[in-house]
Amino acid sequence: MDLNDKIEKILEKVQKAPRYTGGEMNTEVKGWDECPLHFGFCFPDTYEVGMSHLGMKILYGLINRESWSLCERFFMPWTDMIALMEEEQLPLLSMESRHPLNAFDVIGFTLQYEMSFSNILAMLKMGGVPLESSERGETDPIVVAGGPCAFNPEPLADFIDAFMIGDGEDVMTELNRVILERKEKGLSREACLKKLAQLEGVYVPSLYDVTYNEDGTVASVTPNCAEAPATVRKRVVVDLNNTYYPEEFPVPYTEVIFDRIMLEIMRGCTRGCRFCQAGILYRPVRERSMEKLIDLAEKLLNSTGYEEISLSSLSSGDYSCLPELIRELMKRMKEKRVSISLPSLRIDSVLKESLEETQQVRKTSLTFAPEAGTQRMRDVINKGVTEEDLLGKVRDAFEGGWSSVKLYFMSGLPTETTEDLDGIADLARKVIAEYFNVPKTQRAKGLRVTVSVSVFVPKPFTPFQWAAQDTLDAIIAKQEHLRQVLNIKGVTFHWHEPYVSFLEACFARGDRRMGRVLRSAFEKGCILDGWNETFRYDLWMEAFRDCGLDPAFYAHRARTKEEVLPWDHIDSGVTKQFLWHEKEKSERAETTKDCRKGCNGCGLQRWKGVCSYANAGSV
Amino acid sequence: MRMLAVFEKGERIRHIGHLDIQRSVQRGLRRSGLPVAYSNGFNPHILITFASALSTGACGTREIMDVTMAEEVSEEEFLDRMNRAMPKDMQLSEARAVDQKHPALMASLRAAEYDLLIRDPETAEKLTAAIPSMMAKETVTAMRKTKTALKECDIKPLIYELKGEGQHILATLVLTEREACKPGMLIEALGKEAGIDEEIRMLVTRTGLLGMDSEGRLIPLERL
Ligand code: SF4
Repeated sequence: MDLNDKIEKILEKVQKAPRYTGGEMNTEVKGWDECPLHFGFCFPDTYEVGMSHLGMKILYGLINRESWSLCERFFMPWTDMIALMEEEQLPLLSMESRHPLNAFDVIGFTLQYEMSFSNILAMLKMGGVPLESSERGETDPIVVAGGPCAFNPEPLADFIDAFMIGDGEDVMTELNRVILERKEKGLSREACLKKLAQLEGVYVPSLYDVTYNEDGTVASVTPNCAEAPATVRKRVVVDLNNTYYPEEFPVPYTEVIFDRIMLEIMRGCTRGCRFCQAGILYRPVRERSMEKLIDLAEKLLNSTGYEEISLSSLSSGDYSCLPELIRELMKRMKEKRVSISLPSLRIDSVLKESLEETQQVRKTSLTFAPEAGTQRMRDVINKGVTEEDLLGKVRDAFEGGWSSVKLYFMSGLPTETTEDLDGIADLARKVIAEYFNVPKTQRAKGLRVTVSVSVFVPKPFTPFQWAAQDTLDAIIAKQEHLRQVLNIKGVTFHWHEPYVSFLEACFARGDRRMGRVLRSAFEKGCILDGWNETFRYDLWMEAFRDCGLDPAFYAHRARTKEEVLPWDHIDSGVTKQFLWHEKEKSERAETTKDCRKGCNGCGLQRWKGVCSYANAGSV
Repeated sequence: MRMLAVFEKGERIRHIGHLDIQRSVQRGLRRSGLPVAYSNGFNPHILITFASALSTGACGTREIMDVTMAEEVSEEEFLDRMNRAMPKDMQLSEARAVDQKHPALMASLRAAEYDLLIRDPETAEKLTAAIPSMMAKETVTAMRKTKTALKECDIKPLIYELKGEGQHILATLVLTEREACKPGMLIEALGKEAGIDEEIRMLVTRTGLLGMDSEGRLIPLERL
């Protein structure tokens, strides 16, 4: 049976075949032979998740735009597909031209969340690529990775040849050029990796040695060759207006999670919430101009036919001319029946006026993220939102015709007490009271308040990077308490799987030895860990035991100020000193102001011309 | 005015379901910039209907959409702009402008033509050989899947035409809003007749949708 017959046969049996068939609008099928460099873009999760991801769309367009490079997509197949592929001995194939993964020159993974790590191993294996960097030979592809989890690359150091730290737009092309050189000039793998290590923002883990102290903590991470810099500084694109943004997006046939135009209005966030890793990693704030955004919106509407645009960023409400932007977009899009949504609506910054404008087209449920139930706790995490702010916005929303509100909280934050948990229920009750305060004739029917409480996971490059995560027993007890106090009419309570958060915490702050646990767990059968139905906690714990490592060491241990952190050789631009200072302030429940009100001296001010709010005088 | 347009659902996208095909056509219309009419109300949508839903897994070479236009557009322009706006597996081959009073396609639909590619050549031969004996029977029973159960039914009166050609079985089968003989039902019955026990793998392509003219002849629905 030839390849196509095998594929056809499998597709007739598999569930949700359109995940695997490709051919979507705006997916380029460039001539394989006309492009010298072949880039296999891997999203280590299912099609529906991957196709919702903005970063992939940007890089897909960016690589395909160059005449000399071609980019094709790979996604993690679901378990039924994996079994069928094994049966027919089919390798992992690209969505576009159906070439196997190992036929590509570069394989790029995007690292969005830790629980996708085992999928990376699965995809490499199905694609016929040796799992570990040290096992790869001269004819094997170069495996690279980027995205937020690349900032602590150590747990994946054995499997990834080179990491891209920070904004990918510029470094992507530079990296591809080096790999093209490898191919055309016959550069050895080693020489190629050493060349990559010299690009700003590229970390090649095999060029660094790690030593450990007796207590298991890291003693040092040092380069083992002259080409590798002692610290790897993240890449920052300074001017978003002159940075590539796609004018067309692939349009999936089937519904994916975010099936709409995503317009990145700015990158970064000035708020400085202390639990938020993205808030540090994507510093500083950079905005796209209104003219640029309107132009992009029109081009994207014409090329995709989407009926919805979402303005995306970490904190869209902070965009400096948000009401003008929305008004202008509404004016131009009205004829095309396009609705506009603001996904990460910041409760303290969206004007009532723009709320009223968004609802002109469609009313979905409104999302608020107070994150913590009491003012003290919100001060600890520097979430600059007061109860008054929140209730004011909620009132506006109810008066504006919304009846469905989602509230997001975290539990397990440093210094949390029962009082803080009870505060969550109090807030939910006050939100309900606001609804009933609106006269019956003026409010929309069907009040729905959803309270989602996730488990706090301490992340690298945040003031809480030294903090211990709650133990599983503590988390479970808190969830039980929350379930009781949130047993309120009109409230739906959602919580996160604590076991997943525990494992996430191990990887988030893991060192290189976590790679052994990952490989062991994968060999035991762990894949698709981000999905309840496939997550195997027991196998993961077995893998820790087999490797002689204690997950509590990674998750539940508070670190000291002096400890060398596994990611200390990565420079996010924000200093460890600033983060420690923030940690101390958090213990005193002291807040730090928004950068727009003045520079807080996070460290980025040292990089000239990068942060527009920076005050070079501050240290 | 309304535009009746014939389009393809190519092999690569044959597993896409009808709802997704509908959405893709709507997005194609939006990309084309053609002056389509929208419904009123809170969630405006393009005024479009499809002559018949094509099952998941089947290809179609002459599927029909019926789009209400807000302004007059020539057939050529419609075709040209849509073909630039649609993916390559969903290209249009014909367009015909009709007025608002033209009968609804769905109500005029009588039958569909199918080309069934039998994956195994030997099986195809056996099936072709079994056609005369099956067609000579008074009744041909097949199982019809309803939402809750399997129901026995007689498909003999639902077969207009049936013949074999190499690896292909060509069939014209009744398809109306009320009753239909699906290709799967036909092949199951024919397989039984041919004494084939194993599952028959085939590629279904619907090659035409038919209506009936005033003299009782089946003709392409879009020409009615
Ligand atoms: S340099 Fe100053 S203004 Fe810029 S992000 Fe850091 S603290 Fe904020």
